[in-house]
Amino acid sequence: MKFVTCPSLGRRALSEFTYGGRLEKEPDQESVSEKAWTDYVFYRNGAPQTLKEWWYHRPTGIWFLFERNTLTDRITQVEFANRGIENEA
Amino acid sequence: MKLRLAPQPLEWIDRKSSVSFTFEGQTVSGFKGDVISSALWAQGRKVVGRSFKYHRRRGLLSFANHDINALLQAEDRPNVRADVVQAEDGMSLTAVNTFGSLASDKGALVEWIGKFLPVGFYYRAFYSPKFLFPKWERLIREMAGLGKVNTDWSEERKPKRYLHCDVVVIGAGPSGMAAAIAAAKQGVDVCLIDENPYIGGSLDYQYVNEDSQQLNRKYLKETVESMPNIQVITSSYVAGYYGDHWLGINTPDGLIKLSAQAVVVASGVFEQPAVFRNNDLPGVMNASAAQRLMARYAVAPCKEAVILTANPEGYRAALDLHKNGLVVKAILDTGKTAGESVVQAKSAGIPVFENAVLVEATGRKQLQGVTFEVGRLQHHLSCDGLLMSVGWAPAGAPLYQAGAKFGYNYTLEQLLPVELPEGVFACGRINGVFEIEDRIKDGEQAGTAAAQTVLGKEALAPVDYTAKSAHSDPYPIWPHPKGKEFVDFDEDIQIKDLKGAIAQGFDNIELMKRFSTIGMGPSQGKHSNMNGIRILAKLTGKTIDQTGSTTARPMFHPTPVSHLAGMRFRPERLTPLHSFHQQRNACFMEAGSWLRPEYYPTAETREASIAEEVSAVRNSVGLIDVSTLGKLEVFGRDAGELMDRLYTMRMSNMNVGASRYALMVDETGVVIDDGVAVRYSEEHFYVTTTTSTSDSAYRLIQKKVIEWGLKVTVLNRTGQIGAMNLAGPNSRKILAQLTDLDLSNDAFPYLAMRRAQVCGVEATLIRVGFVGELGYEIHTDSQSALKIWASIMEVGSEYGIKPFGVEAQRLLRLEKGHIIVGQDTDGLTNPFEANMPWSVHLKKPYFLGKPSLMKLKTLQNRTLVGFELLSKAHKDMPLESNLLIENGAMIGRVTSIGRSATLNKVIGLAMVETAFSEENQVLKIKLTDGRFVDAKVIKTPFYDPQGLLQKPDESNEGEAA
Amino acid sequence: MPLRLLKYAWKKSEDEPRFFPDETPLKKAYDVVIIGGGGHGMACAYYLAKEHGITNVAVLEQGYIGGGNTGRNTTIVRSNYLTSEGVKFYDESLKLFEDLSDDFDLNIFYSTRGHFTLAHTDSAMRTMRWRAEVNKHHGIDSEVVDVETIQKEVPYMDMSCNGQHPVMGALYHAPGSVARHDAVAWGYARGAQQRGVEIHQKTRVTDIKTKGGKVVGVETDRGFVEAKKVISMVAGSTPRITEMLEIETPIEIFPLQACVTEPVKPFMDTIVVSGSLHVYVSQSSRGELVMGASVDPAELHSTRSTLDFVEGLTDQMMDLFPFTSRLKIMRQWAGMSDITPDFAPIMGKTDVEGFYLDAGWGTWGFKATPVSGKTMAYTVANDTPHELIKPFSLSRYADFKLVGEKGAASVGH
Repeated sequence: MKFVTCPSLGRRALSEFTYGGRLEKEPDQESVSEKAWTDYVFYRNGAPQTLKEWWYHRPTGIWFLFERNTLTDRITQVEFANRGIENEA
Repeated sequence: MKLRLAPQPLEWIDRKSSVSFTFEGQTVSGFKGDVISSALWAQGRKVVGRSFKYHRRRGLLSFANHDINALLQAEDRPNVRADVVQAEDGMSLTAVNTFGSLASDKGALVEWIGKFLPVGFYYRAFYSPKFLFPKWERLIREMAGLGKVNTDWSEERKPKRYLHCDVVVIGAGPSGMAAAIAAAKQGVDVCLIDENPYIGGSLDYQYVNEDSQQLNRKYLKETVESMPNIQVITSSYVAGYYGDHWLGINTPDGLIKLSAQAVVVASGVFEQPAVFRNNDLPGVMNASAAQRLMARYAVAPCKEAVILTANPEGYRAALDLHKNGLVVKAILDTGKTAGESVVQAKSAGIPVFENAVLVEATGRKQLQGVTFEVGRLQHHLSCDGLLMSVGWAPAGAPLYQAGAKFGYNYTLEQLLPVELPEGVFACGRINGVFEIEDRIKDGEQAGTAAAQTVLGKEALAPVDYTAKSAHSDPYPIWPHPKGKEFVDFDEDIQIKDLKGAIAQGFDNIELMKRFSTIGMGPSQGKHSNMNGIRILAKLTGKTIDQTGSTTARPMFHPTPVSHLAGMRFRPERLTPLHSFHQQRNACFMEAGSWLRPEYYPTAETREASIAEEVSAVRNSVGLIDVSTLGKLEVFGRDAGELMDRLYTMRMSNMNVGASRYALMVDETGVVIDDGVAVRYSEEHFYVTTTTSTSDSAYRLIQKKVIEWGLKVTVLNRTGQIGAMNLAGPNSRKILAQLTDLDLSNDAFPYLAMRRAQVCGVEATLIRVGFVGELGYEIHTDSQSALKIWASIMEVGSEYGIKPFGVEAQRLLRLEKGHIIVGQDTDGLTNPFEANMPWSVHLKKPYFLGKPSLMKLKTLQNRTLVGFELLSKAHKDMPLESNLLIENGAMIGRVTSIGRSATLNKVIGLAMVETAFSEENQVLKIKLTDGRFVDAKVIKTPFYDPQGLLQKPDESNEGEAA
Repeated sequence: MPLRLLKYAWKKSEDEPRFFPDETPLKKAYDVVIIGGGGHGMACAYYLAKEHGITNVAVLEQGYIGGGNTGRNTTIVRSNYLTSEGVKFYDESLKLFEDLSDDFDLNIFYSTRGHFTLAHTDSAMRTMRWRAEVNKHHGIDSEVVDVETIQKEVPYMDMSCNGQHPVMGALYHAPGSVARHDAVAWGYARGAQQRGVEIHQKTRVTDIKTKGGKVVGVETDRGFVEAKKVISMVAGSTPRITEMLEIETPIEIFPLQACVTEPVKPFMDTIVVSGSLHVYVSQSSRGELVMGASVDPAELHSTRSTLDFVEGLTDQMMDLFPFTSRLKIMRQWAGMSDITPDFAPIMGKTDVEGFYLDAGWGTWGFKATPVSGKTMAYTVANDTPHELIKPFSLSRYADFKLVGEKGAASVGH
């Protein structure tokens, strides 16, 4: 099983987390074209890569962002999602 | 006892207590501590099983659970491993997979027709004519399979345990013990695991008679036992390594799930049998098996032995036999082994034949002799034991599973780990280290390095203790023109089978495995893969590394389902009103993780009970527990903004004290949730979700709050708040007796929300209309819910109040044409299709899924419609999911249906192609039995279309506050 | 003793013709290159040669024949899908499966066992009925059966599920079958090879070359080969191929795990699936119980096993079959699944001329092996999608024309 080093709780089992999908930036709804929207909703590059992902820690009810490689399953960064989003922006 | 030896220095048996069990109907006695195999062998029972395909007699081979020659049927379980399961009083055992008995097995006929059954024979026949295949398949299935299942066996579950340590050491032989000690000396917590009941490993069966090892033994064992930070777990094996040093460890008492910081693999090597004609005759066994028999159980492997060897270990085994007074007729050395044990054996007068070539073992029911060649001369020796010591393969499962890479070492003629993942270490014989002193040093450095890793210290570069000469024969395989040289004992695979597979193009390791089934039996290749690789490499002219090996997947040994499953932990959620439902003998149904009353059995039948509940609501008053609804509270500056963004309707313009229907779609525009939102204050909303989506909706909303960067807090109050819906024309009269709140229409109109004391308890009251009557949803803290419920029931008794369940509510809402998300919608339904275009405010600047809905609006080709059935006959009643057919084509399906006593007709909702959704369109419903019944599209709501009853005495439309 | 086996008494088995040819050099050019030597790729090659006379074909396989999901699935074959598109497609597959042994002259052990999909809730009952009605409409043998009927067929099943989730009924699909997965790939491979198709194992495609929006060939670890048409038939690895052409798809890769018990004598003839319990089980002709569950929770390109999976599966399994607690799990493994948003495949042409996709096989690729080979061969030969696969185009998502299988498939077997 995978273990995750959480910034406040330390080493936690990955099974405590629920996967919440990739972190992707939603296009501006007002100006988005139909194609750009369906590209956003449906089409992606699914090849192995390092991604930012949403992971929800069920016992505490907190969303995290993981940087994870989908080939090796290595998690290289864990941050509180609210802080992570601010950093992204 | 024919083969029991005099007491051995380290024996595991308790000669003071005897055990007695039956095997194949005959009584066998042994000592406490005996495994079943040792007890049988001690009594001279050398036939312990029959082989899988040819039903040949089989004796002990590895005596270490690396083969399944001794696989037994017990009364309470199949496939008992006699090599490792202790004999117990009263056991009743038989061999598996015999037809008749072990002594007289009709299955042995297969051997006579064996030449008709080449490798993969079952791919080549039995399929034509087609109608006969099931008969052949049945026969093949009966012949395959091992033990028998008794489907009356009861459920067994063993509790699981969790364990955490810094360093886990797998294998408690000399290198494992040394590793554990070295790690523990660094001050870290160590777990030492071994599959045997005692630590010691090969030190205690290969070196029993070597005085020089007594000190090592004493030091290692006593130190391990004395160090408080070493936890020893015996009789347990690592079933699997599962990433990040997470191990599943099978113990006799259940599974241990162990999380470690570093792993030392000291699991040693599997002894590999030699491959020659009749190598499966009872009496032919691995030399280490013989040593285990003698050292642990004081059982002689035979009386007159011949040793076939390629390494010093074989000579050592010969000396062990010699020491126990058994005759060693000869040592057949496949090469020219050197070393101290060779000198000792020779000086003990044991004849040694170097460069010996094995021809065959002979004997009918068991081993009687061995034929071999030296130079051009053929020799024959009679013997009842032929002990094979020709080489080793890594017991590398945890390493393979951790991602280690192995490479073939040509000095040792053995696969060794060449690349280890972070935090994983190997030592001892798996590392190619054979001398005890070296194994201890190798263990020490691995244990130290593992501890250093845990402590974050730099580890020293390891010293290479790998042996400098081969301990394995590079090709211990002697084909014979008459065959019967077994490579895989589980599957009865001979050399010719592998040859055949390879010749037909199955010439890489995986294809050869899959076609021939080598390594696919219950011992998963432990005794066969290495020889299989050697044969494949030779026949294809490749090296061992080019040939590669198959993956060692979990489980290491087959692991009981009862241990893996563990104890049941599956919580069910009960509402705060559950005790009431139980008192009323409610019939419960699952709703997500909750239990909800489906109905309360008050009449003779389910239908009648539900009808009574419906009638109470329509004619007087009813009360339903809706505590299972998801309940979220939203506060903060951006609360209105969040609600607008989450739901398809505009929410930020709601008045304080109002409620509004809340419909949510996902990014693709599919309906995923609905509920009711109320506004407590400018910056404070409360919203319900459906029962099954409460957790996922809460998660989604929290995520969106972050994504959208809103200043708002969302709380999941689902479990903290109890809720009930008091509905029916008399509901107001009842509620009025329990609260001071002004319930008049003017003060508390339809769709309004009020907070008030009910029965002296703070509660939220919402005027809702889900079931189409005057009604109040009452939300209050869980502890107080039962008090309010009970008071309502008491006050309501005057009005004949009835509690009602999910079924009645379903019918009531159907009469109102309200959808149930997940029943009237499917995985692709959008709000337009659900016939709720009014719920989508595309003019809002932003909401979840809006661009998808803008597109979907233009693509709509199906619509949810109401219909009434044009037949009232009971036999014509359609079921939910019956199809609508037009000109032979499917045009839709029934999503909800019910017999409305109120309306005296059968009504329903159907998802139909939009072309057929006009009012008065006649739909043809295809019943389950294939008949058709007509229905007519009509407008919803079916009941009280103007909605007057849910807001009596009110004329103003829309919401109020 | 079947007559076919008699010849082996005087014939050495090595005399048998090879299933697959010895390694040969790659040619300079092929009409069609199929990426992926699993069941689908082999079937497509077979039908290209057999039905369309296209034999200048190379199948390029990075590992060995059938070593991907073909050899990792739990071998269930059925056609009781929820949507018309799915039902028609898989019905054709079943029909092809039934005759494969004769076509190949190789026993694929196609064993019709009957397939129960249990319902433990009334909403599951509605879904079962929906499927049954759609199935029957298309002439598929499929019906909702009551508890008594199930109990009669599977008398050793605990219908109360340990009192936890009583079985309320089931969808019964009599044609539901199991087959020897490897043999299907081998049979197609041998048949294709006999008709002139080249099969190259241990040959990895590293890039796909285009010129003016048109495929011209593939780069491999053994050099470049020209190709007029290239088909990707690598479910589980599809995004790695589409990435080469910068084609985006909705496919994400999730591991799917399975396990087997030690072999025991036959007692279970039917295939039993429970969506609510996330379990499906059948007994192989070798005697092992073959069991699986739903896909793993997060995207991952790996075939590692997890303990969570086998713990969860065995726990649920005991609800249905308490006596299996006395059995032992022998081996677990995993495959990688191409998961699509609507649980339906992606097949046909793409925006790149000459590049075709056979992908998105989720957890149902094996049962589609014959029909996908056949329809893809047609599509490639005619450069126009076969009627049966039109609903499965890559562009359907952009048009919001998703296939509605999702409602039926919480466990995909």
